[in-house]
Amino acid sequence: MLPTERLSYSPIVARAPLRLPGGARIAFWVIVNVEEWDIHQKMPRTVLTPPAGGTPAPDIPNWTWHEYGNRVGFWRLLEVLDRFGIKAALAINGACISTYAPIAEAAHSRGWEFIGHGYTQKNMQKVDNERQAIRDTTAAITRFTGKRPRGWLGPGLTETWETPDILHEEGYDYVCDWVLDDQPVSLKTRGGSIVNLPYTQECNDVAMMLIQHHTASEYCERAIDQFEQLYEDARDSARVMALVVHPYIMGAPHRLKHFRRVFEKLHGRDGVLFWTGEQILDWHLTPPTNGTPTRD
Amino acid sequence: MLPRERVAYSPIVERPPLALPNGARIAVWTIVNLEVWDISRPMARQVIPAPTGQVLLPDVPNWTWHEYGMRVGFWRFKALYDRLGIRPTLSINARVCLDYPQVAAACRDAGWEFMGHAFEQMPIQKVDDQKAMIERSLDTIEQFTGKRPVGWLGPGLTQTYETPELLAAAGIKYVGDWVYDDEPTTIHTANGPLVTLPYSVELNDIPMMIVQHHESAYFEQRCIDMFDRLHAEGAARAKVMAIAVHPYISGQPHRIRYLEAVYDYIGRHEGVVHWNGEQILEWYSHSK
Repeated sequence: MLPTERLSYSPIVARAPLRLPGGARIAFWVIVNVEEWDIHQKMPRTVLTPPAGGTPAPDIPNWTWHEYGNRVGFWRLLEVLDRFGIKAALAINGACISTYAPIAEAAHSRGWEFIGHGYTQKNMQKVDNERQAIRDTTAAITRFTGKRPRGWLGPGLTETWETPDILHEEGYDYVCDWVLDDQPVSLKTRGGSIVNLPYTQECNDVAMMLIQHHTASEYCERAIDQFEQLYEDARDSARVMALVVHPYIMGAPHRLKHFRRVFEKLHGRDGVLFWTGEQILDWHLTPPTNGTPTRD
Repeated sequence: MLPRERVAYSPIVERPPLALPNGARIAVWTIVNLEVWDISRPMARQVIPAPTGQVLLPDVPNWTWHEYGMRVGFWRFKALYDRLGIRPTLSINARVCLDYPQVAAACRDAGWEFMGHAFEQMPIQKVDDQKAMIERSLDTIEQFTGKRPVGWLGPGLTQTYETPELLAAAGIKYVGDWVYDDEPTTIHTANGPLVTLPYSVELNDIPMMIVQHHESAYFEQRCIDMFDRLHAEGAARAKVMAIAVHPYISGQPHRIRYLEAVYDYIGRHEGVVHWNGEQILEWYSHSK
């Protein structure tokens, strides 16, 4: 299905206002991405290119650079989120549940939400059997947490024409791949609708640090600029803000403080709810104003 | 052998902490990379791609850009480390001993550690006979310095699935290619264990200046931010911090002051040892 068949164009100014509990303006969610990079494949991202270019395999330097995030970096992010009492959404490759079991355990014991993020870090267009990859991911998470994941983020936000349909059929309630709004929207699928929650490529360390090559401090500066504008926009209708982080990027010692500074600056601000994706979803489906679920 | 067959996943928080002598918090490991860029092949890095982006040989502008580091930039490093009394580890293409004997001799005579770094600068996956290249590299360095290297860094940190076996068989004790931890680790090879030392692709002028295109001053800032964090963590768990520089990059007149400023900053802190790779290896081997 084409994107325009899944939803109509809708200017944000023409919609009925959204209200958060207690008159809050912003539902803020933090997504921590934990991935497994297959040494047999081309690495999803690189920090160092080989001498004279090309992509000779295996790519040990970039594989180990990513592995650093799961051995060391994740535990720094965890310390920050613990200090501010924030439950994150863990977007996790299904395979990581066993490969990086201590990470899954740390997240689960804190009540973080687990959302599906592919079985390994491979574009959905290149996965042989998309439905099976989704099922395997669902099963891996469900076995570990005892609860089916309700949310999904494609690896690199990738989708085929069918992904939302398959996700809906496989019991998912929301996706994050459509970065087209500051509020949740509903997407048509062949079997009913699925919600899309506002994820972000803007306040996202992959785009900012690895593609745009900003200095580490820009992560915090941009997050705060983003927040202040959304807060202002939300005076009449609530907004959602996402902040995305990867252990191998912001978990590096020289970047960590700029991740922490975001929460130091937001700490104590009125009108901000730090929610998981699931909490945002439930609010969207059952707004406090009328109590009527909007999911068909 | 696959990386996962060499070592299991291990979160740092589940390991007993390492301790440095006299309560030091951080071992700073400085690595100076010296290379030979053969003019008959594409250059390892480029400061200026050819008009229209085609790779044309010979690549004189980029060859001379690198050569500047050996003629001029290196001597700025030498003056800095002489002044500070720091003896870095050299990550050295063995052919440097033949093509740039003045540079290699200055390092040898100053007591710098020679770490193997292939014979010349090209990805190790493209070397026809890796075993022979490793032997030739170690022999060439040994002939020049009188000491066989105990450490190895792949060119561009590259390895094949067999490289650790070949290195262990050649008598190498540590490698820098595995940038996956803040601590040394031990990995399995078919020819006995190898230690990995935490080399860096974060505090490294190639990713920072040539790939990410940061401004010169950001090198100082990132090193300070890295140091502050690791120094704080080092109170409970000793850390290794590597700084990797190349004469054609950080040896430039407009960049050298930021490298100097890094050591000035570190010098104002207690609890720091400046060690080479072999010293870190010995400490780690006795800590286990």
